[in-house]
Amino acid sequence: MSGNGPRPNGGEILDPDASTIQRARALAQHNWSVILGAVIALLLFRWLMIDGLGMVADMVDVRIGGYEGLPSLILIYGIIVIGFNLLLGYVGLLSFGHAAFFGTAAYVAGIFSAEVSGSPLLMVVAGTVAAIVLAWPIGFLSIRRTGVYFAVLTLTFGQMLYFYALGPGAWLTNGDNGYSDIQTGDLLGSIRLDAPVPGLEFLLGHWQYVFVSIFMLLAIIVANRIVQSPYGLIFTALGENEHRVSFVGLNVFRYKLMAFIISAAFAGVGGSLFLIHESYIHPTTGLYWITSGDFVIMSVLGGTGSLVGPVFGALVFEYISNVISGVSLPVIGAIGSLWRLALGAAFVVIVWFLPQGIYGALKSLIGRVGRLIERQLNQTAGGDD
Amino acid sequence: MALLETQELTKQFAGLTAVDRVSLSVDSGETRAIIGPNGAGKSTLINCITGLLEPSGGTVLFQDQDITAHDSHDIVQRGISRSFQTASIFPGMTVWENVQIAAFGTKHGSFRFNFLRNRDSFSDVDALTEDILASVELLEDGNETAANLPYGDKRRLEIAIGLASEPDLMFMDEPTAGMSPEETQHTVDLLEELKEERGLTIVLVEHDMEVIFRVADRISVLHRGEIIASGPPEEVKGDEEVQEAYLGGVEL
Repeated sequence: MSGNGPRPNGGEILDPDASTIQRARALAQHNWSVILGAVIALLLFRWLMIDGLGMVADMVDVRIGGYEGLPSLILIYGIIVIGFNLLLGYVGLLSFGHAAFFGTAAYVAGIFSAEVSGSPLLMVVAGTVAAIVLAWPIGFLSIRRTGVYFAVLTLTFGQMLYFYALGPGAWLTNGDNGYSDIQTGDLLGSIRLDAPVPGLEFLLGHWQYVFVSIFMLLAIIVANRIVQSPYGLIFTALGENEHRVSFVGLNVFRYKLMAFIISAAFAGVGGSLFLIHESYIHPTTGLYWITSGDFVIMSVLGGTGSLVGPVFGALVFEYISNVISGVSLPVIGAIGSLWRLALGAAFVVIVWFLPQGIYGALKSLIGRVGRLIERQLNQTAGGDD
Repeated sequence: MALLETQELTKQFAGLTAVDRVSLSVDSGETRAIIGPNGAGKSTLINCITGLLEPSGGTVLFQDQDITAHDSHDIVQRGISRSFQTASIFPGMTVWENVQIAAFGTKHGSFRFNFLRNRDSFSDVDALTEDILASVELLEDGNETAANLPYGDKRRLEIAIGLASEPDLMFMDEPTAGMSPEETQHTVDLLEELKEERGLTIVLVEHDMEVIFRVADRISVLHRGEIIASGPPEEVKGDEEVQEAYLGGVEL
């Protein structure tokens, strides 16, 4: 790339002299390519998880294939951690209370379905709005503090909601029995979410996967736009030198609060979808602090340095907790509840050897291969002269 | 006319009075140097004026308005920007982005809901960024990651960030500290240019006497938190109290 001069707007200007790979790189930064890439990935993801891994499983004779429902679950957590990472990876705020937004959205979506409307879209809207409304006061009270104090404050608010849902709020949440009075209706009045997609069942399975995929696509588009907007610049700057941000005349508190609310909105979308997906919610799965911790682990596992990195963390996390936990190995026997140990081992290995996370490692690998091909091509071109 | 005025400004830290009833008046268009030995309270004074520290007493008036203990971002929005002793930049961002973010603060206020619009589609912001980078001669390095700049360029980038706030008054905390003679020369030229072309009022804390005598219209001497002398360089240079307190009697 020509290193001199001001940055071309949006990186769209393609130098006619640029090599194919340089052009490909410039193109990869373009919005449309992000969307196109996401669509292709989503179209193939379910098949790869279930049928692709299923084939491998048949070959090695260990049950490591995915099951119907797992791809959607991974995408739901993926949506949450994309938003969570705007806060953690960009602004550098570590929240230990995002289960509050996830769980509240799930409960609100569930109660909304029973009391108002079973439209899946409206359920997601209701849950997300609830998460946003809740994030405002929690953020307002937590963001004045930084570092550990911020983390502990968010943790405390999350735990307050957990204990409320378990005990005093049982009239609303059905307490420790969990809330199961969920009346999810048809999508747009005519599509049953658990019905197969006609003609494309081999690829997409049930409508639920399509429904969740569309939200994942929206999450990527919106998060990408946020990162490309002035907010992206300001969020990154806040993570680098918060002090200086206030000394360029920007209101640090309000931008941090916005980052907090935006990330809570993503958690709200995820929580609502989780409820639709599971048709059941319990204070422990929804609001307990371990759930908040899982979001942190997923983000770090996938890599906090990029937008979609955390989705890879969600993938590995959910895969280990749902598939590897069911695997039975020779000598060791059933992994079962040892899955947290397996996850811990994976976490240590990744943090130790791949500090950029899974996605960061993949990206640098692809970059290295790209440069290698480029050098080969250059040599070939040089040989022609 | 006084652009900035402090009245009896005081800052105490647990019994230690770092800034002691400082009454300072800076005129529009002048370049003021604040000098004094280490620990005299120079940085504390600037921090109190720019909202980094809350004064224990006294008032700060800017354009005849009371800005005492206002938030830093509000003070910047009113027209006071600053640089820090350690180059305070955004090291992981490009040179262009470093200045662009300040230009957003200038052109779009302290807060906006513009989180779905591409940041490169704001022509007013881009024009300001380009103008500022050109004036500090860093436009060529726009794509460079700020952390990779040589030290002198980092300091100049910080000045550029300050300038992008389009200030009426700019505080500079030791702008030439740690610079090579060439870099110092470059910075002094830049300061003179800013003064002439932008009509910027500058208050600088500096140790390098050569720099001070070249750029300062007036000098204020701070000693143990108090201003002991204020006036044109020649006058301050000859002041016996200054020589005694600040230099221990050594000729300037």
